[in-house]
Amino acid sequence: MTFYELLVVVHIIGTVLGVGAATFAEIYYARFNSDDILSDDERKTLTITFTVLRIGLFILVVSGFGFLLYMRLTEYVEPLSSPTFWAKMTVVGVLVTNALLLQIRKIPLAVGAAVSLTGWYTALILGIIGKTSASYLELLLYFAIATILVGFVLEFIRNSLHGPRQIT
Amino acid sequence: MTTTLATFLVVHVLTGVLGIGLHNVTLMHILKKTPDYASIMRLAWSAFVMYLISWGTSAYYYVTYYGTSVKPRILAGNAPFAHNFFMETKEHIFLVLPFVALSIALSVTYLKNNPDDELRKKTAFLTLVAFVIGVAVAASGIFVSGSI
Repeated sequence: MTFYELLVVVHIIGTVLGVGAATFAEIYYARFNSDDILSDDERKTLTITFTVLRIGLFILVVSGFGFLLYMRLTEYVEPLSSPTFWAKMTVVGVLVTNALLLQIRKIPLAVGAAVSLTGWYTALILGIIGKTSASYLELLLYFAIATILVGFVLEFIRNSLHGPRQIT
Repeated sequence: MTTTLATFLVVHVLTGVLGIGLHNVTLMHILKKTPDYASIMRLAWSAFVMYLISWGTSAYYYVTYYGTSVKPRILAGNAPFAHNFFMETKEHIFLVLPFVALSIALSVTYLKNNPDDELRKKTAFLTLVAFVIGVAVAASGIFVSGSI
């Protein structure tokens, strides 16, 4: 296995952990909070899920910088100036900022959840498609639109499980 | 580039990213209602050590290699502002980071024995500043690397 292949494997593991944990964090939260009460076991399950999500983000960022070093040392730097790359970096920045804002309770949970879930899937999709004809601003516009749509879908799912009053 | 310089560049980037990550975790923990200052202290001091290592390795790379072999290529390329603006800004702002990291570590060490909510909030703000500077410096580094 070459160093580049190792980086790809580690990067994919980070993405899988992050996207998987972000998805299950939403599923668990919607399910556990359907009675407006989070038991100790439910809290522990959510804490473990968020820990996995953070580990995924950490692996993703470190392996991402591993790619940067690989490109720098091999002087293959073309991907570093692509709109997809910078859109992906911006989305990862939004994910980290979102986590901070949720921690200090400066944004509603419903908004934070929509940003987190959409951000993880956007990073995954941008990583898969690589080159695209869309500009940096277009990609961010798609991300913003997708976040709003996902927010409405999550709200609908939560209301279906519980009733209109449960999201705080 | 020699193996030593390549190793220094790798260490510079990875310890820098770890420093940013550690400040992110430090900030998350300081913002908790009942912070565990013993853990936060370890995180903050680790971030300081990471920035010191990143600082030292980058200084050697910058002085012995960047100026003579990389900078002329960037200035002759399509994006000379990658050096003129981003590298010039990055190298000067980065000088401040280890000292900010040291201030955070000292504040948290003080807070461990003398809990003070006002100081906790100000330390959190300083950690946020260090985190934002770290991210900006890392983004500038990516931009400079992409302009060679």
